[in-house]
Amino acid sequence: MSEHVQTSNGHTPLLEVTDLVKHFPVKSTGVVRRTIGQVQALDGVSFTLEKGQALGLVGESGCGKTTTGRVITRLYDPTSGSMKFEGTEIGQLSGRQMMPYRREIQLIFQDPYSSLNPRHTVGKIVGTPLEVHNIVPKKQMIPKVQELLEVVGLNPEHYNRYPSEFSGGQRQRIGIARALALRPKLIVADEPVSALDVSIQAQVINLLQDLQREFGIAFLFIAHDLAIVRHFCPEVAVMYLGKIVEIGSRDQIYNTPHHPYTQALLSASPDVKQAAIGGRRERIRLEGDVPSPINPPSGCRFRTRCWKAQDVCAEKEPPLYEVGGRNVACHFAEPLQVVQVPVVSEGATAVSPT
Amino acid sequence: MAMPLQEMVTSPDTDPIETPDAKQVAGRSPTQIALERLRHDKVAVVSAAIVVLFVALAILAPVITSLVGVELNAGDPSEDTDAFNFPVIGPPDNGFTWEAPLGLEPGTGDDLLAEWLYGARTSLEVASISTLLSTIIGVALGLVAGFSRGWLDRVISFVIDVFLSFPFLLGALAMAPILLNRFGGDPEALDKAQFFGIIFILTFFSWMGLARLIRGEVLSLREREFVQAARVIGVPTRTVLFKELLPNLIAPIVVSISLSVPAFVTAEAGLAYLGIGLTGRPSWGQTINQASGYFDEYALYLWAPVIGIMLLVIALNLLGDSVRDAFDPKTRR
Ligand SMILES: Nc1ncnc2c1ncn2[C@@H]1O[C@H](COP(=O)(O)OP(=O)(O)O)[C@@H](O)[C@H]1O
Ligand code: SF4
Ligand SMILES: [Mg+2]
Repeated sequence: MSEHVQTSNGHTPLLEVTDLVKHFPVKSTGVVRRTIGQVQALDGVSFTLEKGQALGLVGESGCGKTTTGRVITRLYDPTSGSMKFEGTEIGQLSGRQMMPYRREIQLIFQDPYSSLNPRHTVGKIVGTPLEVHNIVPKKQMIPKVQELLEVVGLNPEHYNRYPSEFSGGQRQRIGIARALALRPKLIVADEPVSALDVSIQAQVINLLQDLQREFGIAFLFIAHDLAIVRHFCPEVAVMYLGKIVEIGSRDQIYNTPHHPYTQALLSASPDVKQAAIGGRRERIRLEGDVPSPINPPSGCRFRTRCWKAQDVCAEKEPPLYEVGGRNVACHFAEPLQVVQVPVVSEGATAVSPT
Repeated sequence: MAMPLQEMVTSPDTDPIETPDAKQVAGRSPTQIALERLRHDKVAVVSAAIVVLFVALAILAPVITSLVGVELNAGDPSEDTDAFNFPVIGPPDNGFTWEAPLGLEPGTGDDLLAEWLYGARTSLEVASISTLLSTIIGVALGLVAGFSRGWLDRVISFVIDVFLSFPFLLGALAMAPILLNRFGGDPEALDKAQFFGIIFILTFFSWMGLARLIRGEVLSLREREFVQAARVIGVPTRTVLFKELLPNLIAPIVVSISLSVPAFVTAEAGLAYLGIGLTGRPSWGQTINQASGYFDEYALYLWAPVIGIMLLVIALNLLGDSVRDAFDPKTRR
């Protein structure tokens, strides 16, 4: 480890992300392909994750959650910003230098159908990380794979079957076993249950929670829905259009959300809205669509859909203010009870995450 | 989409497929499933048998000729042919004889069975080597182009377009006199040059289709999450290409091979017929060319190679159809 940077209270967090930016160039078509714009998928994201801790990352589809996960796992190179893993900057490491950190940081994918190679057996899929990092000798491979299958609740005898023979929930368990094989310190779970039946979702989340407790793995748990994260994560970050708009503890986010976007998201979540909006069953309906990340609005990115927007919101980008213990990026951050909310009747659609 | 968290069950996974049957535990790969399908396809089995028969005849050509007691290019015009240049034994003037089961060649008196068997050998050698080479080139360039995307992809795609616009027959026509000039004095060297020349020409003009197909497949496969998963684990790029992607390209590769082999058999015969293919060794196309002048008096001379080609190409095409069906993911299960 090259540099150890210590935080003010004297210890090194597991992962410290500061001002992370990821822009995807938009190229013109034709022979000479010029860059004609940038998709600002991530635009200055910061958070820290302690060892064994779980942070939820929530936001509508397209807000940059997957990009965050893929930059942290170095599937994408960050455009700028810093990512420190146990104090070491990993944002600029080459493929070879990154190898030791590949053991520590793993990813669980959203789609259990495309995340498993259809031409490989389960044993091969779960065994690949062990093979690449020379964790176990060849002879002990099968017992080790079987052990992992058992840990995630699969029949260890099924190691020489192909993914097509398993259900969605079981496939996701295979993906979890693969992520677990290297005993990582950090797992990024990118909407690990959103592709599964509701009845199976709970089982898979419980499995992840058991694993987190048993092995002390830190989780960055990505979801488009606040309800799923609430159960899992003591700390939650809400993203909108490439930025974190509110980050705080579970209580702060769910009971007294301060950002209008968080309030809207919560009101759309049937499970948690009652507490959030003081027992009223009305939903906040957001006007308009999410703006394009190629041309985000000036100032506050949420202003085109915000019912509290003022002139200052277009002129000045709100930094993360500390209000009521949490950090919130809004010029008018306050709990919901004291504001005028345009309400719609029960049947109307609210924020609709896909 | 939210779930009622209060109702979360903590029971173990209740997903289906707990098969108690111990024999069922080993799974079958998509390739195994395709082969299983082929075994149950009667047309596939019959045409595969015919292809295997031809391959066996070609490989065993020296053994069969010596067992029958015939020999390649052993005719003596003064002894084996009469005043009209027709053979003195066997067809067309005399009955069947084991001395020359398919008769002798008019003019030279060479044995036609030996010529037919070695013709099969030439045909299958050229077709299989060309298929192998064009498949390797097509797969390699397609993989690299699709996986690298950037400038390398654009270079390879451009080369593919250039090759596709180059006329195949012109290449073959141009090559024949060049080789003849160069190696004309030494028949053995000329034959070698022609043999490799024809393989070169066939390969040169046929890898592009597969390369394009593979490139397209790789472009879509590389976005699949299992490729990202391999990279997160730290699997080296070469291993990703050959162990993760290649096994998913078996279907298009098999399809391409099933189309190439019969096409190359036909092309080899066609070039030999035109006199710009092989001249130094037996080839069905050459025999057909020579025999076509004798059809009225000596039909068997022509029929033997024509039937050989037809049977082989039909069998290869029918087998190819079955293989394509068996590997087609849309009809799988
Ligand atoms: N590889 C890429 N190239 C270009 N744009 C991308 C790429 N990946 C994601 N994006 C864009 O970045 C934005 C954020 O995407 P993503 O991180 O997938 O969102 P989420 O996971 O929250 O749904 C989207 O506008 C998406 O179109
Ligand atoms: S800064 Fe303005 S536009 Fe943005 S969320 Fe706050 S009130 Fe709405
Ligand atoms: Mg996503």
